[in-house]
Amino acid sequence: MTIALPTRGRSSRRKKTGPAVRIGTWLVWLVVAADIGLLLWTFASSLRGSNAVLNHPFGLPTSPKIGNYAKALSDGGFGRAALNSIFVALASAALVVVVAAPCAYVLARRRTRTTSALTMMFVLGLGVPGQVLVIPLFVGLSKVNLTDSLYGLILVYVGLALPFTVYLLTGFFAGVPAVLEEAAVLDGAGPVQTFVKVIVPVARGGLITAFVFQVINGWNETLFAIVLLHSQDKITLPVAMVNFLATEQYSGQDWGVMFAGVCILLAPMLALFSWIGSRIIQGMTVGIGK
Amino acid sequence: MNALITESTRLRKVVGDSPRRGKRSQSPLERQHRRTFWPFAAPALILYTVLFLVPIGFAAYTSFYKWDGLSPMKDRGLNNYRILWRDPVFHTALTNTLEILIVGGVVTFALALALTMVLREMRHRLFARSVLFFPTLVNAMVFGILAGFLFSPSGPVNEVLHWLGVRTPPQWLSTDNLLPMVMGTLIWTATGFYTAIIMAGVDQIPQYLYEAAELDGCNAWQRFRNVTLPMAWDVISVCAVLWTVSTVNIFQLILVFGGTSAGGLPPSNSWNTAVYVYGEAFPQQGAPELGLATAAALVTLLLVAIVTVLLRRVLRRERIEY
Repeated sequence: MTIALPTRGRSSRRKKTGPAVRIGTWLVWLVVAADIGLLLWTFASSLRGSNAVLNHPFGLPTSPKIGNYAKALSDGGFGRAALNSIFVALASAALVVVVAAPCAYVLARRRTRTTSALTMMFVLGLGVPGQVLVIPLFVGLSKVNLTDSLYGLILVYVGLALPFTVYLLTGFFAGVPAVLEEAAVLDGAGPVQTFVKVIVPVARGGLITAFVFQVINGWNETLFAIVLLHSQDKITLPVAMVNFLATEQYSGQDWGVMFAGVCILLAPMLALFSWIGSRIIQGMTVGIGK
Repeated sequence: MNALITESTRLRKVVGDSPRRGKRSQSPLERQHRRTFWPFAAPALILYTVLFLVPIGFAAYTSFYKWDGLSPMKDRGLNNYRILWRDPVFHTALTNTLEILIVGGVVTFALALALTMVLREMRHRLFARSVLFFPTLVNAMVFGILAGFLFSPSGPVNEVLHWLGVRTPPQWLSTDNLLPMVMGTLIWTATGFYTAIIMAGVDQIPQYLYEAAELDGCNAWQRFRNVTLPMAWDVISVCAVLWTVSTVNIFQLILVFGGTSAGGLPPSNSWNTAVYVYGEAFPQQGAPELGLATAAALVTLLLVAIVTVLLRRVLRRERIEY
């Protein structure tokens, strides 16, 4: 805010000098309007009949068809898939934070050749594309009967999220002053106690950020879900969407139901973003910008 | 023996021979960190080894074999890589991946920098930033599906164009146009994310630099060129690496773009390496080629490594302290 104020004070003078900036501002608002428009249009279309959507794409729902959602949830299998998605996203996020936090903490605290090598190893993991891991993990999980299982998928998501979570949390823990721990240790607290009672509360913001990131990733992840899941009662939402599109190829597209499906996929992210949007942006920008 | 060693360490400490070791045994906190290191790090390290390192090793191993996942593996030496070298579909996939990475990257970063410049001086910037950022959180397949509807031959976009007097609209979703469309969608959705990150970097730049530049008579472009760009360089170079990794991972956007043909996979003109790997390993018909698929994946990994090293080389410069 302190930065924005002086800028605004001079903005009138600046506008005179920069027509490019003024055109740019208009373009920004145009794109913003297009984004919001697209969102609203998707929602409006999800409440309309298939023919109405196809013939008059810009019409408004005259009599809202909630039935599209009922149909998507039951016939399209989105209901069960949404529950699976919620379970996978939350469980993998909680697990990865629990596993990564202690590791990131000791990596941030101890600076030796071993720890910097380990930190580097996690950072390099950030650069490994999913396509390298998908076949080996599929083969490995089928050996232990964890394909077509939500637990197998959760395990995979925890693994995939580890490098980023460790990297992000190492940054957060490095910012926690060591004085706090010293006091705890002098008071006779054990290592686990120090970590849980002193460090975790202080670094809570970082832990929540890491958790939220993995919820978002787990909700949207598609490649591994498609490869690993196939039973109707095990699939997550993106897989249900792909299956729905494939079956509609044969039986003719029901656009209203498809838009309802898209809205089901979108809505939790929109809710999350309206709730803690600035925190998400801040977490991503600070976590990555470092 | 033990006592002797501690004796001698203590002695050395007094003499001042090895101050580092002496300090280490001094602080109870340090000692605790040392003792708890492996127990604390072990779960993550084990999971990382099992779910990351071993699979990468296994992928490298598989890439030298012909394997359908069921029957025994047959040694193929380097032949999988030779097959890839000659496969036109893989060529297209690799070219597309690179095209998305480079062309898409240049456009996205140019737009993100322009947006940063505009947003800096604009009212309600936080609101605009939030709206532009939101697509990052949405599953990319949503945009593929929406584009398939919006740009269909009798879809809304063509209707608007018709209304504006365009009688022969482009064939948006023809196989030749799929990749540019994918790229356009990607740029549209990714720009907001990179704008937000670069903006956070730009906000760190002290205001007095801009004031000084203005006193020196710099216009908006010069302020950007001589203050913003050099000061935000570190953030931009991190973003470039991030872009490399994330574009290579694009999968579902291409998979569903424009409504997939029956059978699941889009026409191979629009494939990137991720779709190629998926297509070879889990084909709709025929035997899976797991060896070939992992070889393709490893080529992609190599590509990421080369591009990342190059980017870090090219973008590296002295760190500016302020």
